[in-house]
Amino acid sequence: MKKLFCLLLSILLFSCNSKEKKTAKKSAENLPKEIRTDLYGSWVGDFVVLTRDTTQPIKERYSNKINLIIKKITESEVIGQSVVAGNNRPLKGTMTKEGNTTHFILKEPGDDKNDGVFDFIVENDTLITGTWTANNPKKEVSKRKFELFKKEFKYDATVMLPDDSMYVDYENPQERETTENTEEIEEGETPQTYVENVYREASESIFKINSSTKKLKEADVKNLKKIDLEILRNTIFARHGFSFKTKTVRQFFDSVEWYIPVATNVDNELSATEKENIALLKRFEKYAEDNYDSFGR
Amino acid sequence: MIKLTWQYIPFQNDVAFLQIKQTEISQIPFYYPVFYVHVYSAIFVLLAGFLQLSSTILKRYPVLHRNMGRFYVLVVLFLSAPSGLFIGFFANGGFFSKISFVTLSILWFYFTLKGFTVIKNKNITAHRAFMLRSFALTFSAVTLRLWKVILVYLFHPAPMDVYQIIAWLGWVPNLLIIEYYLYNQLKK
Repeated sequence: MKKLFCLLLSILLFSCNSKEKKTAKKSAENLPKEIRTDLYGSWVGDFVVLTRDTTQPIKERYSNKINLIIKKITESEVIGQSVVAGNNRPLKGTMTKEGNTTHFILKEPGDDKNDGVFDFIVENDTLITGTWTANNPKKEVSKRKFELFKKEFKYDATVMLPDDSMYVDYENPQERETTENTEEIEEGETPQTYVENVYREASESIFKINSSTKKLKEADVKNLKKIDLEILRNTIFARHGFSFKTKTVRQFFDSVEWYIPVATNVDNELSATEKENIALLKRFEKYAEDNYDSFGR
Repeated sequence: MIKLTWQYIPFQNDVAFLQIKQTEISQIPFYYPVFYVHVYSAIFVLLAGFLQLSSTILKRYPVLHRNMGRFYVLVVLFLSAPSGLFIGFFANGGFFSKISFVTLSILWFYFTLKGFTVIKNKNITAHRAFMLRSFALTFSAVTLRLWKVILVYLFHPAPMDVYQIIAWLGWVPNLLIIEYYLYNQLKK
């Protein structure tokens, strides 16, 4: 009796097992075959204005760094993602072959006022060129173009801002009234006052202090200006591939070779040192904001 | 100045200036209470000192002048100057500004004490001279901050570079002006 029971049980088990195998096989056959997996990954480059409505006040930057991610390609569907200027959007569309060129049309969902359609081709399997058209034709910038190269994002705590360029905040000029030098003025003329723009400029400290690897002390940052503190703090986020919404920050990082925007939230990726440094830098930024040029200390 | 003091009410260990003094607060015992002694006492010294300059009060209400004077001397000698000396040791801007604030607090203490002892001996001229010197240093609380605004507006220096300069610019010119004034009085 016992033997019979065992036999029955084993048959039962076996039959169940084979059934499962069959269904698994079936669903795999149903899935459309993935093609061109060599194109999968991040494509990074400048997202440049093509059409701008000049009657509107200038709000958007001429160029933003974009990361266009291709995640899946089948005969019928392409799935991707676009990360640019603090916007992280899913993409869906199609790939078609026209002679030797591979042509993509990928759409953002359309439920955001900034959504649009990407239209691009792949050249030599190494370069993506194309345009993006906004769904809303009345948008300030309704068309942008791009040339993207394949790049893989990898977090590296040791990367620093390149020290061969100046870090000047052109986005936030401070107006200052200046009166013409009286010596240069001919007699009879009244000296003219004009408004001059003054730009904040970062100091050399931003090339020397690594805010991701070094646990910063108050003494390290005390003599830094607000712009230095801001850059040091945002370099941490840039290393993690954070896509910045603020233009002030983008102007510093978009041109940096290692910087690839990959996400709009990196809070879970931050190391303990980075978290502490961010808190310290923020505290000093606030102090600088409240006190640097005002009566008080 | 009252507005500046107001930032520190109620007691908080992370407001205004203390935002960049967290190292001192956590590592140096008494920094936080001593800092508060300085902030809270100094505002009264400044107000009392101002009123003492008034010749109307001196002539019409000599008792008020004497009482307010005692208050001024008491607060400076026992609260403001010693606390100033203590926090001066940990001043921002390194050795260059520390030595300024330490010197300032010692001179402040000395002038105020002198001004008090000479009036006990009824030496009014010396009393006036020392008290003017004392108030010139009291008033550095205001001039130091004014210089800061001017320097930042003109040159946009790094914050601690400004601090090293205003540490001295806050009180040395004040004292020189008073000395020049006293010298001219002496000649008459």
